[in-house]
Amino acid sequence: MDSDLRSGKKWGKRLLIIGRVALGIVFIVAAYMKMKPEPAMPWSLASIKTSLSMFAMGVDSYQILPPWAVSLVAHWLPPFELLLGIWLLTGLALRASSLIAALMISGFFVAMTSAYERGLTISCGCFGPGEQIGPKRLIEEGVMLLPLALAVCIGAFLAARKGNEGDQSPLEVTVGLGDTARR
Amino acid sequence: MLPRFSFGSPRASWFFLLCAGLVLTPSLALPQAAPSAALKSTDPSPKSAAKTSAKSADSKPVATGPLVKSYGSSGAPIKLDVFTDYQCPSCRNFYQGSLRQLIASDYITSGKVYLVHHDFPLQAHMYSGLAARWANAAARVGQFPEVEAALYDNQDAWGASGDIAKYVAAALPAADFKRVEALVKSCESPAPTSTWDHGDPLARDPHPCAFDYAVRDDIELGYKIPVQATPTYVITYKGQKLPAGSGMVSWPILKQFFDSLLAQQ
Repeated sequence: MDSDLRSGKKWGKRLLIIGRVALGIVFIVAAYMKMKPEPAMPWSLASIKTSLSMFAMGVDSYQILPPWAVSLVAHWLPPFELLLGIWLLTGLALRASSLIAALMISGFFVAMTSAYERGLTISCGCFGPGEQIGPKRLIEEGVMLLPLALAVCIGAFLAARKGNEGDQSPLEVTVGLGDTARR
Repeated sequence: MLPRFSFGSPRASWFFLLCAGLVLTPSLALPQAAPSAALKSTDPSPKSAAKTSAKSADSKPVATGPLVKSYGSSGAPIKLDVFTDYQCPSCRNFYQGSLRQLIASDYITSGKVYLVHHDFPLQAHMYSGLAARWANAAARVGQFPEVEAALYDNQDAWGASGDIAKYVAAALPAADFKRVEALVKSCESPAPTSTWDHGDPLARDPHPCAFDYAVRDDIELGYKIPVQATPTYVITYKGQKLPAGSGMVSWPILKQFFDSLLAQQ
């Protein structure tokens, strides 16, 4: 039973690593697609600003935020996504990073569903311009990304809880596991 | 064996006359071809359109003027192509919340932005094709801006009743309205619209009006983008086309984007 538990924990850890790396890559790619210069423009602060302004038009088309908030979100969200992606890859303070990621993806999902409900046929803006909001995009977000983010978040909290239990006292863990205590 | 040919001879004179005739005939015939060429005209100056329409004011309502549906100078570094449907609420919001301010701004007057309107009437909207026809007829007499504004500002009213003429009449001087009305009434077949299968917009139209071809050209250009919803906009900066966007964009955000483009070196 002990070895089963250990291998289960091992697999849990592995899955958590795979999940957070996948989530980190998704955020980094999303940030890159929004920040990369438009064709025939060189990499420069001005060209990145242009790309972010273009992303702002996509955010504005959701008709949720006032223009000042659109500008704020459009200029800060992609750099934050980049940082969050890197943060998830490092695995540092995973509970915080995965919670932020899950909240962000939930927010995107709600915004997209709301736009779809209102009959807006607009570009999603998730990975740069061009991707229309529709059932396909909503399924991708709702069935793949959101569960992934939630799984990583729950996994991070569970792992931390078990880790804390381990830190507290080996006896408590043994007692808590029941099976081991009987032995 | 060849006949002798000297420059002073009568035979040479006939030969030169024949050559001159051959050269001059096509150039004399060109003005007759002009109306069809004007269909695709994108003369940026509404004044020139007005001049042309004034010339033809006394003549029959034949579509001969350039069809101007653009604002600003075609030499501007930024070109904004907008595909819209007059009966679509998002297009109205885009016009009222953004394009109207752009048209009145110095981005257009100082030659920074060239705004081109393209018709993309959707099949789902009952009167959008007819509204596009009215707008194109107005463009023929140099009154496109007035009619475009009137159509968007009264969208709910004519969208319910189908009485587009009432709102166009209110927007134009009586003489211009008569000319526009005559142009529209000369069209017998149903107004062209885009189709889900990207078919020919004039397929069910055996005798299209002269300006229906302009609507068809806009729709076919839209198919190539591809326009999946209205409004769709395509921004071209110094000849480089940027990815198409769709939906309403407010004026402060659009302005911010233009500024960031103009800041490029």
